[in-house]
Amino acid sequence: MSASSVVRSRAGLFRPASCISRTSHFFSTSRQLRESKPTPTSDRPTHFGYETVTESVKQERVAEVFTSVAESYDKMNDLMSMGIHRLWKDHFVSSLNPGATNPTGMPQRILDVAGGTGDIAFRMLQHAHVNNGNPNVHVTISDINPAMLSVGRQRSLSLPASHQSSLSFLEANAEVLPSSLKDNSLDLYTVAFGIRNFSNMPAALREAYRVLKPGGIFACMEFSKVDKYPIFNAIYKQWSFSAIPLIGQLVAGDRDSYQYLVESIERFPSQEDFRDMIADAGFAIVGKGYEDLTGGVAAIHKGIKPL
Amino acid sequence: MSSPSLSRTAARLARSARRPIARHSTPTSSSRICQKSCYHSYDHPPPPGPFGTVDRSILAAAYKHIPEHGFSLRAIGLGARDAGYPDISSSILPDGQFSLIHYHLVMQRERLAEKSQELLKDASLASVNDKVAALTWERLMGNRETIHRWQEALAIMAQPSHLPTSLAELATLSDDIWFLAGDKAVDPSWYTKRAALSMVYSSSELFMTNDTSPSFLETRKFLDRRLEEVQSVGGTIASMGQWAGFTLNAGINVLRSKGVPV
Repeated sequence: MSASSVVRSRAGLFRPASCISRTSHFFSTSRQLRESKPTPTSDRPTHFGYETVTESVKQERVAEVFTSVAESYDKMNDLMSMGIHRLWKDHFVSSLNPGATNPTGMPQRILDVAGGTGDIAFRMLQHAHVNNGNPNVHVTISDINPAMLSVGRQRSLSLPASHQSSLSFLEANAEVLPSSLKDNSLDLYTVAFGIRNFSNMPAALREAYRVLKPGGIFACMEFSKVDKYPIFNAIYKQWSFSAIPLIGQLVAGDRDSYQYLVESIERFPSQEDFRDMIADAGFAIVGKGYEDLTGGVAAIHKGIKPL
Repeated sequence: MSSPSLSRTAARLARSARRPIARHSTPTSSSRICQKSCYHSYDHPPPPGPFGTVDRSILAAAYKHIPEHGFSLRAIGLGARDAGYPDISSSILPDGQFSLIHYHLVMQRERLAEKSQELLKDASLASVNDKVAALTWERLMGNRETIHRWQEALAIMAQPSHLPTSLAELATLSDDIWFLAGDKAVDPSWYTKRAALSMVYSSSELFMTNDTSPSFLETRKFLDRRLEEVQSVGGTIASMGQWAGFTLNAGINVLRSKGVPV
């Protein structure tokens, strides 16, 4: 992605991608439909927040949303989640424990989908290389949006050289991963706060199943339902539908994009339904299949490809 | 004792213990404790245990690494490798090393049901109490191979997030022991028996972690003393109750004889 490429923002302004900086993972980073590679089901209906649109329109509009809010991501994430998103991400990575191999130092290949800005991938490398002393862990950051990948590239320049050399970037649509990602080739597939924005989740889950080795892990962190705690749920709903769009308006100057954020969270399936979608893609589920974070505001779902 | 029905149930429990539980398409209950049925049914198969095929195979392979590596993530990692899984697979276990401890508890409890049939054939075990003692001892011997690691395990089991599962497992164990011993009580002693056995079992287990005597002789003596105490305390409480009932009755009769309308 060259610095002179332009991405059209929701407000109709043109801005060079290079000025989109310091974004993060809180929103997905999978956002833009590349005209060259439409998905096979691009005219099927899906939802965009509370609206019903076709899959291709959703991809375009998701791209617009993320381009529009990119500059204020980090600030907004901290404000909206009161800093908790960092704890969630740390817990997600440490629960996966990448790089812990017997004997120490065996290679592992990880794909972080919709991970353009590198929040999860950088933590994975830190955990594997430093905590577990395994320099043979390789992480590929995949994102549909080239602007986001360039942000991740920029941020990765401040990593230690050994981490940088274990990192690669891939521009790809998670629903149709390129054939360069071979069948049964990955140990771990992660997607954090991204799958909500996919137009066709079952297709993406099937692709995850295809590229993972037998015994490989699919791990997803996404906003979920707080239905188990009615009082907390009421407070949380009030916060997300009143405060978040308002913060978006005041801090990022864009109410509509944050309205989309809370609507898309509301439309995302419950913990149990999403677990069943993972099982339908062929993964085996262990235990109840998910872990609630902060009472279910976010949830970590895991599946394992059977041997 | 109704040995045919007992052995039938033991056989059924044993069968269920060996049956692989394919869970990857069945929706699971949100709470593990709810999965356990509340009583032993002769007419229905027991509900599936907390483990599916994948976790069962990883944990079963990890089991033999416990004496060397303890109830640790390393043991689980080595087990995953032995079972033919890549190293990353061990991160699928939702509770990390507690999964291995939980597996040990469930497996030893299921083994007890299998073993009970053979164990209780012994004619010297006449009373229910003798059978309870024999079964409890058998269960304690299930910890023999891993006893030098058991204090670590107890520390993990006592963590707030794991405590409910640990206590539920202890309650299920004492319930199973009383059931297998053929106890048929349907009065308040149902609860006191189980509570008492839970206390006796857990204190004996703790005693055993520091026992260096040959074949855990001291633990056996400790267990017998505790069970005796429970029986004598139970007997004392029963006698007290009898005495109180008699005195109350006599008192009322004295009052009646004085013409008080009671």
